[in-house]
Amino acid sequence: MSDAHDTHAHGHGELDMGHHHVGSTAMFVSVLMALLFLTFITVAVAQFDFGAANMLIAMGIAAMKASLVIAFFMHVKWDTAINKIVFLSSFLFLSLLFIFTLADLFTRRLDNEMHITKSPVDKQWVHPSTLQGGH
Amino acid sequence: MSHDDHHAVMIPAPGPEFVDHEVPHHFNTPVQEFQAGKLGFWLFLATEILLFGGLFAAYFYFHEVYPETFVLGGKQLDWKMGALNTSVLLLSSWTMVMGVRSAQTSQKRKTLIYLGATVLGAVIFMCIKYMEYSAKNEHGLIEFAHLFDGYNEATGQLPWFTDHDGVMADVPHGHMFFAIYLTMTAIHGIHVIIGAALIVWVMFGTAKGRFHAGYFLPVDLVGLYWHLVDLIWIFLFPLLYLVP
Repeated sequence: MSDAHDTHAHGHGELDMGHHHVGSTAMFVSVLMALLFLTFITVAVAQFDFGAANMLIAMGIAAMKASLVIAFFMHVKWDTAINKIVFLSSFLFLSLLFIFTLADLFTRRLDNEMHITKSPVDKQWVHPSTLQGGH
Repeated sequence: MSHDDHHAVMIPAPGPEFVDHEVPHHFNTPVQEFQAGKLGFWLFLATEILLFGGLFAAYFYFHEVYPETFVLGGKQLDWKMGALNTSVLLLSSWTMVMGVRSAQTSQKRKTLIYLGATVLGAVIFMCIKYMEYSAKNEHGLIEFAHLFDGYNEATGQLPWFTDHDGVMADVPHGHMFFAIYLTMTAIHGIHVIIGAALIVWVMFGTAKGRFHAGYFLPVDLVGLYWHLVDLIWIFLFPLLYLVP
């Protein structure tokens, strides 16, 4: 009887384990090294001025680092399709937020005086140290 | 439904130093419990991405409006501190994933060591953050004592931004960079503190032997939270310290 129970319990455990991926230590160490190397690259490229491409380069490297964290450290590479869709869809909605916000900014600046003042607040700028009174 | 209808599903402990896991009665199988927990947590993490996404949208908006202000503001931060904190968080993300791996393979002692190292990383991160905030406070770029005083209509001053050394004197609206810097790093910092507290919580469970190859869901989920904290910082570091 006890044998039968043990077999059942063992079988149960294997069923559970079948759904989990256990990554190897060597793989996680490699990912860490890649992340630290990309951090070094982040700092290194910031020493040069690529003009308008600065932001794209910085965000490109950050996106590479983020992909490593998501795929390996967060185990998304081995996760179920539904979990991948749920999490990765947040970036889709994020892109909608960015696209509409920046589309507003860029189009707004084309046809009003903010293009000149470069300020969404139409107020004269005064540095605080030149102001009287305080707190 | 009679009481006899309920038969608890048990996941047996892999050894004497562990305890059995009883699958809560609202789940039919351990797999269902695991998948439901994971799906719920991924949904929560999606909302976290959108929470920080709003802040990133604000950053990109004002970076476009006041590029000089952001570049000069970024120069007031110590990129070496930022790079150090980035490395600390990346290392702690590695110790966290190793902690989850140790729980998955029923290695109790290793799990505790890795999780403890992750908490240490969180403490080091917050100590460095405190030093950085103190420097900003001294220079009048973020005066924490006056943070909630509000805009002074009479003097036209923001009480928390005096910039008494005049480092931001040549650019318009210098406070914009520091307002965004503080909001983003403070909300991130709160996540670091919550994450560390959650790790301590699963350490107690680990010590009691609750987590092993058959059941490690809480360690897994807290790990995901911690990696999200790292994920956000990966973008904050270049945007705030090395303003492109």
